[in-house]
Amino acid sequence: MSKNLNRFDAMMTPEIKDMVERAKSLEKWPLARLISLFETNTEQAKQARHCVMSSLKDSSKNGLILGITGTPGAGKSSLIGELCLSMLAEKPDLSIAVLAVDPSSQRSGGALLGDRTRTNFPVNDKRLFFRSQASDLDLGGVGKKTYQVTRLLRQLFDIIIIETVGIGQSEIEVEQLSDHTCLVLQPLAGDQVQFMKAGIMEVPNTFIINKCDEDSLAKRSYHLLKTSLKLVNVSLNKNSENSKNIFLTSAIKQKGIAELTHFLLQLESDSSTRKDVQAQEYFYLGKWIQQEFGRFGLTLFKQSENTIFTSQQSYEEKENKLLEIMKEMIPSLSCSR
Amino acid sequence: MTEQNKHTIYGKDGKPSTDRPWIFRTYAGHTNVWATNTLYKDNLSKGQTGLSIAMDLATQCGYSSDHPIAKPEIGKVGVPINSLDDFHVLFDGIPLEEMNTSMTINGTAMWLLSLYVALAEERGVDVSQLRGTTQNDLIKEYLARGTYIFPPEDSMRLIVDMYEYSLHNIPSWNASNICSYHLQEAGATPVQELAFALVTSITILDAIKERDCFTEEEFERCVGRISFFVNAGMRFVEEVSKMRSFCEMWDEITQERYGVKNAKYRRFRYGVQVNSLGLTAEQPENNAWRILIETLGVTLSRKARCRALQLPAWNEALSLPRPWDQQWSLRIQQILAYETDLLEYPDILEGSVVIESKVKQLKEQAYAEINHVLELGGGVEAVKSGYMKSALVTSQSQRMGRLANGEQIVVGKNKWVEGLESPLVSDSDGGIFMVDAKAAQKTLDALEETKRNRDDTRVKAALTRLEEEAKSDNNLMEASIECAKARVTTGEWSETLRGVFGEYRPPTGVDGQSMSIKEDNASLVSVRKKIDDFIETYGYRPRIVVGKPGLDGHSNGAEMISVAAKHAGFDVIYFGIRLSSVDIVQSALEENVDVIGVSLLSGSHNEIMTQLFEELDKNGAKDAIPVILGGIIPEPDYEGLKEKGVKRIFTPKDFDPMIVMGEIMDVINEQKSK
Repeated sequence: MSKNLNRFDAMMTPEIKDMVERAKSLEKWPLARLISLFETNTEQAKQARHCVMSSLKDSSKNGLILGITGTPGAGKSSLIGELCLSMLAEKPDLSIAVLAVDPSSQRSGGALLGDRTRTNFPVNDKRLFFRSQASDLDLGGVGKKTYQVTRLLRQLFDIIIIETVGIGQSEIEVEQLSDHTCLVLQPLAGDQVQFMKAGIMEVPNTFIINKCDEDSLAKRSYHLLKTSLKLVNVSLNKNSENSKNIFLTSAIKQKGIAELTHFLLQLESDSSTRKDVQAQEYFYLGKWIQQEFGRFGLTLFKQSENTIFTSQQSYEEKENKLLEIMKEMIPSLSCSR
Repeated sequence: MTEQNKHTIYGKDGKPSTDRPWIFRTYAGHTNVWATNTLYKDNLSKGQTGLSIAMDLATQCGYSSDHPIAKPEIGKVGVPINSLDDFHVLFDGIPLEEMNTSMTINGTAMWLLSLYVALAEERGVDVSQLRGTTQNDLIKEYLARGTYIFPPEDSMRLIVDMYEYSLHNIPSWNASNICSYHLQEAGATPVQELAFALVTSITILDAIKERDCFTEEEFERCVGRISFFVNAGMRFVEEVSKMRSFCEMWDEITQERYGVKNAKYRRFRYGVQVNSLGLTAEQPENNAWRILIETLGVTLSRKARCRALQLPAWNEALSLPRPWDQQWSLRIQQILAYETDLLEYPDILEGSVVIESKVKQLKEQAYAEINHVLELGGGVEAVKSGYMKSALVTSQSQRMGRLANGEQIVVGKNKWVEGLESPLVSDSDGGIFMVDAKAAQKTLDALEETKRNRDDTRVKAALTRLEEEAKSDNNLMEASIECAKARVTTGEWSETLRGVFGEYRPPTGVDGQSMSIKEDNASLVSVRKKIDDFIETYGYRPRIVVGKPGLDGHSNGAEMISVAAKHAGFDVIYFGIRLSSVDIVQSALEENVDVIGVSLLSGSHNEIMTQLFEELDKNGAKDAIPVILGGIIPEPDYEGLKEKGVKRIFTPKDFDPMIVMGEIMDVINEQKSK
């Protein structure tokens, strides 16, 4: 273990130190290169991540991670663009990062990331940062890589928006790594809502019915959604623990944007909205070990979780510790890895 | 009277007659208004009766020449127009009342028509005598050509405003010209060409009906003013069938959907520019034959013959054509019309069982597609949802796949590629059309002078009126004509309406696309191996950002590169068109890409690449992120571009997308091993 730590510290090269310093002042390229470290699957990058995270430990920031999901065509990107500008207008010292995740091709492994064309951000504004990410072959749309990047961004920005296509499964993944999840819907027509599965309806904290360019349609959708939430026993009572909010927005008519902006800024300034970091680490370590070692690994992880989660160690150190345990159990691993 | 035979054309008097040829047109305009005026006068003195005006990209996109994004484009692909003063120079010595003036203008079509009307009024010409066309087909701009400005609904309103104004004031003006030309260039199949162009005309006519501004008789005349601009490719039997289908379908649609009684107003009137997409940069002399064959598709059938024809130049895939190149194309038309006996016969395809059956099939398929789009909510909705764009990108990807797989033969490109070198391309000027820098300055100086001499109070009042009427339901023509007379600039008119309507970015159509290249294709296997090795070594997938800086909206190349890169295994950030160098560099930095891919076709590559490298340098990334360039880049420019820092240049010669991808991987690996 101590050997590993030493190796970690040796990785804090002047180059990375410089990148971290410049990233703290939100300089675009150094920040972007740090993000790449959190998306890179090499031993070296892992060590660098440990160093970066330890040097950011004293960061005063603990950004709000906001998951925004919804079907293609619901107008997520344009809405996010509007919201970012409107939040900045309201609170000019705010900083926002948008991480737009799109699916990778199952055939080639490559991905076409086109969200940037839909977001009209001003250039050279340090308060806004936009990044595209491919989901890799993670079925949920967002995955390990997304989680890794949010670890970093949380230390640097006030709000981190994760934009992803919602097709059932990914809502659950997004919920794992977001402090607050919004589901963006188009105005609902008739029985469309009935088809939504109860499970999916329970996930989002907030529903946004977007493209409400027309009042009557907006009202009808609102009531339809409310009724169907009741049907699946999802509470809309604002005072209860699991309450859901519904917003009606229109980017064209500039409707509902101010209310939603206000709501999101309130979430940002309320530190109790942040999720437990350890629980997230637990989830992603578990997911990783299950991918690598199957159910056997998962059982072992659960048995040894007390040892792993006792000390104040970084995610990378926990990963290494877990790997040590696996190696003890499967001696042949030591040779091959 | 003697008995008539079936192979002779008879005039109204019953005597044998021959047809007059179609109109020979040359799309022209460049440098500045003085040079273009000289060119027009020269063409007119040679017997040309119509003008086809090419405007530069800044004018088309609504920027005055002094806007930073306009500067690299001044006078490049057409003439720059900043104010009514420019129009006075452009038409100096040209009698407007005798001209048939066609303007290839879309996003700013209302502005250019207003300038033309204002010019006539200031000259004392009776406005109702003006004849001509504004292209003004925004749907195909969103789909294929890229010089849109406003959102679809607002664009439709401007189009209807122009139809309403024209019918009442300039009855011989074609307010818009529906283009299937650009759709074919973007990859459309004949069925898609038929369907999407006819959907566009239905969308416009429905909007006019909805406004309810015409009497029944006026509406019929209005339908009669709708004209089309069509493409014709190498498969000329299918093309001739397509043209016959167009004629029949237009007759049916105008009769059945709109109840037009007068057959004269149901006639499919169309002009043509034949296909450029199929022209090759390899053995470019072969293109002369291709252009001739493409011409047959739109001239053979008398019933479906074009009214006006313009031909591309043989060397279009290499650079912008020179006057001699255009003359050579004009000769093709003259030989066909005057040396052959084509114009002496009635329709030679009438009664052909094969053609009839083919027409029937095309019509059935096109009607099915039209109905599908109408069920999706019509033309505007199918733009906004990306349905039509996405269908075109799919067709284009399939075409690229067929070429790469060798399933579609193109002589000199993927078959019989060995040949003697053409003496035509080793000409001393290398086939480049150069724009003089001093000429651009003259345009800028004239703009300054206009601004100095005008009455600022009148300008302000005209713009305020424009803004207010834009917010209301009023027809914007009168307010725009007043702007023109007040010497408002192109940039000011557009900026005012941008403020009211906003700017629009249509869906790119690339999401979810794939390329149909066989999995065992050698170049595909090779590039995938390179990418796998890269991932193994560096622990992530190579990242590329693809975008088009400048105002040129021909996005095919950029779209195909993006789809191909994804197919090869890259993570591709597609950033679209109409970007500044600052936009592109910022995206490259934020996305921390391994390579920047830029596509340029307007001839402004030297200026734009200079801007791009300056911006990279400013951010300390000049030698860190390699840049590759694709497009129509004349060979003599290669060296200068490489000196600026461009790592590889790809042209239409590089038709196998996976070989291109392999070379891009090489560039990335060279950078990594530095």
